[in-house]
Amino acid sequence: MTERTFTLPDLGEGLVEARVLEWRVAPGDRVGRNEPLVELETAKSAVEIPSPHAGVVTRLHVEEDQLVRVGDTLVTFDLERDSGIVGTVPEEAERTERRVRLRPPEE
Amino acid sequence: MHATLYGDAAIHYVDDGPGGAPTSSPVLLLHGFGSNFELNWNRTGWSNLLVSEGFRMIGVDLRGHGGSGRPREDDAYLPGVLVADLVLLLDELGVERVDVLGYSMGSRLAWELALIRPERVRRVVMGGFGPRDPFADTDLSDPGADGSPFGALFRAVAELPDNDAAALAACARGQAARPFTSTPAPLRAPLFFVAGEDDEMAEGVERLAHDSDAAVLRVARRDHRTAIAASAFKKAVVEFLTTDAPADRGAAAGEAG
Repeated sequence: MTERTFTLPDLGEGLVEARVLEWRVAPGDRVGRNEPLVELETAKSAVEIPSPHAGVVTRLHVEEDQLVRVGDTLVTFDLERDSGIVGTVPEEAERTERRVRLRPPEE
Repeated sequence: MHATLYGDAAIHYVDDGPGGAPTSSPVLLLHGFGSNFELNWNRTGWSNLLVSEGFRMIGVDLRGHGGSGRPREDDAYLPGVLVADLVLLLDELGVERVDVLGYSMGSRLAWELALIRPERVRRVVMGGFGPRDPFADTDLSDPGADGSPFGALFRAVAELPDNDAAALAACARGQAARPFTSTPAPLRAPLFFVAGEDDEMAEGVERLAHDSDAAVLRVARRDHRTAIAASAFKKAVVEFLTTDAPADRGAAAGEAG
């Protein structure tokens, strides 16, 4: 088991802190690289931070509505074995294919 | 793909995604005042979501914003002029019909596009938008100078790197020169309104939605600035854009129009 923490990255524009709007993962969740991790509010805008790793979330270090500063730990992951290889993320099996029914332009 | 279309103002845009999503048209993304595609739709997670869901996404920087041209004349920002940029872009890309997703000023333009060119629009989502006058109590000759809600917003966006305060002021005056009216409403495309429950700019959106026969979602504990990134907003939009459409509203009413 390889643990890896993820700290609040430098968001640019001289911003040094952000408020957690909403966690998109919970401890125990498996998350793929680039999948939504957390929504933050900075002094200038709202941003969604994607996960930098594929793995299992073991701990969230900040609660919703709390402020975090650049460099503060946000989350701890348990990285999957062979994490250097892009893991297979289970497809959402229930997604149904629907037929397109476009109406021709009424002209 | 990032590219630039040269009309009477240069329009920077992004065209990305596979476009294989079932029952969908390309999605045209229209950002809010003082923002741009990157801030409004990319950093907030929307472009990731739409591309991973299989949508083709066309994101523009409206004139006066982002990488697009920045005329300084008020008349260069009349709503009809900004909509003409969008139609030109759709023509250039050979896209017949789009779903439109707007936020704030982008929602107002989405409404106008659906009104003026209904044949080009399949569905419309309007985020962070309501029928109230966004420029109420604002002195538009110097829009950052007063304490009105728009004055505060103007000051915030004028400070963003790369924004051009003179172009944005002209844009505000151009938009204000044609105040939004809830009638006539677009008749053909299904409409969907989404706003944070604490979003003052969206005051009255329930009435507007009711009057235009549209659904509305209020996102709990979000305001004008924070609702844009909300997962509830995203989920509802994907559902709205991928659910089998009822017939166009105009057609359902007996091929009216």
